[in-house]
Amino acid sequence: MAATGTRRTATRVAQVWVSMKADDPEAISALAVARTRLAAGRELVALSRMRLIELRGSLPTRPRLERLLHGSIQFYNPHKERCLVRTTLRDASPASASQHVVVVTERGGERRLAAERWWLHETGSNIEVREGVAWLLEFAAGALAPLDDLITVRDRRHGLLCNPHSQDARTASGRLPLPWISPPLTQDDGTRSAGPHRNEPEIEGMA
Amino acid sequence: MSAATVAVLQFPGVNCETESVRALERAGLHAEVFGWKRPAAELRAFDAFVLPGGFSYQDRVRAGAIAAKDPLIDVLAEAAERGAPVLGICNGAQVLVESGLVPGGANVELALARNRMPDRSGYYARWIYVRIEESPCVFTRHLAVGTVLPLPMAHSEGRFLGEPGRMRDLARNGQTPLRYANSNGGIATEFPALPNGAEESAAAVCNARGNVLAMMPHPERAQDLGAVCRSITGEWASRRARDLARCEDQRLDVGGPGLELFRGLASYLKEC
Repeated sequence: MAATGTRRTATRVAQVWVSMKADDPEAISALAVARTRLAAGRELVALSRMRLIELRGSLPTRPRLERLLHGSIQFYNPHKERCLVRTTLRDASPASASQHVVVVTERGGERRLAAERWWLHETGSNIEVREGVAWLLEFAAGALAPLDDLITVRDRRHGLLCNPHSQDARTASGRLPLPWISPPLTQDDGTRSAGPHRNEPEIEGMA
Repeated sequence: MSAATVAVLQFPGVNCETESVRALERAGLHAEVFGWKRPAAELRAFDAFVLPGGFSYQDRVRAGAIAAKDPLIDVLAEAAERGAPVLGICNGAQVLVESGLVPGGANVELALARNRMPDRSGYYARWIYVRIEESPCVFTRHLAVGTVLPLPMAHSEGRFLGEPGRMRDLARNGQTPLRYANSNGGIATEFPALPNGAEESAAAVCNARGNVLAMMPHPERAQDLGAVCRSITGEWASRRARDLARCEDQRLDVGGPGLELFRGLASYLKEC
């Protein structure tokens, strides 16, 4: 509680992982190109794509959050996409233990201002909405995972998923960070919680 | 001597190949659409290459990223290395940037990032002005420095961007042959004359030799004088009004500002 006695609302982060219900042509093309044109992609056995949306601010309870996400056209289309919501590190992960996850964001362009305006109109709350593209990569058992050669574009033979001149890539495997693309959170005592860092494998974030 | 032949590369999703062929033929060149399913080696028979606008491979992963890895681009890179002219327009420019053919080092040095515009984001289309800069670019070197051309632009990702200072170096080295300008030829620094926030107001970047050009505006859509938008002012608007007044049937089959780049290519190929 704040010293004035007014109710202080904690800042929270929710992740929304959106994937296609049908085959995703973008992932199919990326897999085909990676396997046939990039040396680092030869051992790649599967590649899928999700949209990662992070909401940061004073968020409602989980059921209401899910209702808002479902009812808005700003986040996903339930007719052709499915969504998984994570609000704590204990929540189910969209990735399996054998998958590497790469989140690519547009540098300086992660914010979804239209979604933020919609949220304010709908709930009266100001929140920040950020979005990136998450690639889930799975390599053959025992194969090395030359992630950077697959992710960061250097030339026609190296890299596909992130052009480092305009985009940032963050990688993780196992338990996925939360938050991941939003700025670090400030705790009530003024210290900063663990936040997203480029290429940091795992972060013990807030719950 | 037969006219030089130009291949207009058609990846799936490209949608400006027909206009590009027409513009090349109006400039006196022989042009044909080269589909992505043809053997890449057949591309070696051509003298010059155009990558037209559109949405190659549906802009999957990132605009131009998938086409940049296509075997056709390996042949194109060999031809560019030999000095063959290569023009990438809009999505074609994105392919050239993603493949590293511009600015032409061994690595990918630039990005065509999402437009940066005040109070809006995403796709943006309008007629803009570009100014010709001092450059070895084979498509523009026949035009006087300072010439202003009105051209249409239409894209979501057209903001030339590199490591800090890289675009400035390219501009100093004559590798930004087209820069966004105001109608009077002053370099545009603000939206909407600078429609995407590109560094150095670059509308195009070429390699150091000048034979590979990646440009975001669409010259093929401004190949007819009659197509010049009524909002355009300056010399091209005067020409349009004058020639339109002469045409009894209001059909204005006279070359427009965009045709100048294709004429530049034709005159270069004639010299070779």
